[in-house]
Amino acid sequence: MFYKYSLTSSFTMSVWLWIGIGAAVLVAGAFFSYYNRFAVLSNRIANSLSQINVQLKRRADLIPNLIETVKGFAKHEKEAIKEVTEARKALMGAKGTEDKLKADNQLEGALKTIFAIAEGYPDLKANTNFLELQRELSSTEDKVAYARQHYNDNVLIYNNLCTTLPGAWFASIYGKKEKEYLQITEAEKKNIKIKF
Amino acid sequence: MEPIKINFRDQIARNKTKSYFLMLLIFVTFIALAYVITLATAPGYFFIIMIFGIIFSLSYLLLTYYNSDKISIASVGAKKATRANYPDYHRLVEGLAIAAGLPKPKLYIMHTPNINAFASGRDPNHAVICVTDGALDQLERRELEAVLSHELGHIANYDIKFMTLVTVMVGLIAIVSQIFLRSLWFSGGREKSKEQIIFMVIGIVMAILAPIAVYLIQMSISRKREFSADATAVKFTRNPEPLIKALEKIGKINQPEKKLSKAVAPMFFANPFKNIGSTHPPIEKRIEALKRM
Repeated sequence: MFYKYSLTSSFTMSVWLWIGIGAAVLVAGAFFSYYNRFAVLSNRIANSLSQINVQLKRRADLIPNLIETVKGFAKHEKEAIKEVTEARKALMGAKGTEDKLKADNQLEGALKTIFAIAEGYPDLKANTNFLELQRELSSTEDKVAYARQHYNDNVLIYNNLCTTLPGAWFASIYGKKEKEYLQITEAEKKNIKIKF
Repeated sequence: MEPIKINFRDQIARNKTKSYFLMLLIFVTFIALAYVITLATAPGYFFIIMIFGIIFSLSYLLLTYYNSDKISIASVGAKKATRANYPDYHRLVEGLAIAAGLPKPKLYIMHTPNINAFASGRDPNHAVICVTDGALDQLERRELEAVLSHELGHIANYDIKFMTLVTVMVGLIAIVSQIFLRSLWFSGGREKSKEQIIFMVIGIVMAILAPIAVYLIQMSISRKREFSADATAVKFTRNPEPLIKALEKIGKINQPEKKLSKAVAPMFFANPFKNIGSTHPPIEKRIEALKRM
């Protein structure tokens, strides 16, 4: 019934064979799983980048409506209106997310001027359409900031994987490099007190 | 109290594993209860009752699990919050969902003057958030955002899945032990074998202790989760101040809720009943933890 193993090589051979197979499976598994983790994290970063662009686009789309409303009540504020129109044009024309975000900052400044001016026009200030646009614009600004934060969070996870062991070994094998964070402006830095 | 250091990825993985384990535990507990009860009351019908019990518990488990969002919404009498009627509520959640990288949950509203909120559902794709009128009226925009962020934290950490299952278990065990204790009233007159009496005693003890044990477990679990959801909330908003202010307001304003069932307490942002040794850590403790961030 029982196989008899004297101290021949067939016993040790089969043990070593199984150990070898086990090790090979483990190594192959690690290669697969790290490849997939890099892929999943890159996709997530790409996805959060597109989310930033979606929100910036939405912001730009709201502007013409706002300008029409403002013109209806405060025609003479040509300077401020022009500034917003131009900032929007810059945002629409900007290539690359960094440039778009810069243009969006410009737009945010111009909008602040418009909203400050609106304080002097009670009819405009009370206009429901105007109020709605104002809220929607500040909400999209929040969303841009959150989308950017989410992007940077994802880059952080990716970079941690690239720079800690054993991920760093696989990163060099697969030729993966650390990714750049989206820079934040001075005004935004003030709000950030914690990092996880 | 030791400082709270939370690794979110680990926490989520733990929550998922625990959830599957808990599902198994619910099933096993139910079968054990059914076993003891059958032997105590009607040993002759052992197989029929056991088969019926297995079918009942499985379908109860699946039904409540897949409809947990609807059940919790219905149990507190919440109404759907449309984007037209509650635009700011929607906007805040949309922003936070982007920060969290989660799909936007369905939004509900509950008519009570107290400041509160809860999240439910089985996973982030089937999640709901509900806030009270009081929260919308009395909280500043950033404070409301912080409260919503806390609820989104429960969703992101998969607390909702786990809490759903715990609630299912509490409900199931409560039902079974009630049925058992009541059935004793009607089985008084007949002769009983010695074996039956032993099982009956075991059954009574189990029926009394099980709900208490489960309740205690539920409390301790849900308290820990509040701290981690606060931390996750701050991870999304990057600013603990509004959450601290919201908690302070709740401490000052909220009155104990009269109409709610106790079973739903663990879901909420702040304990709706204000009693000690409850589902939530004291507000001061939460504020303390937030101030250390």
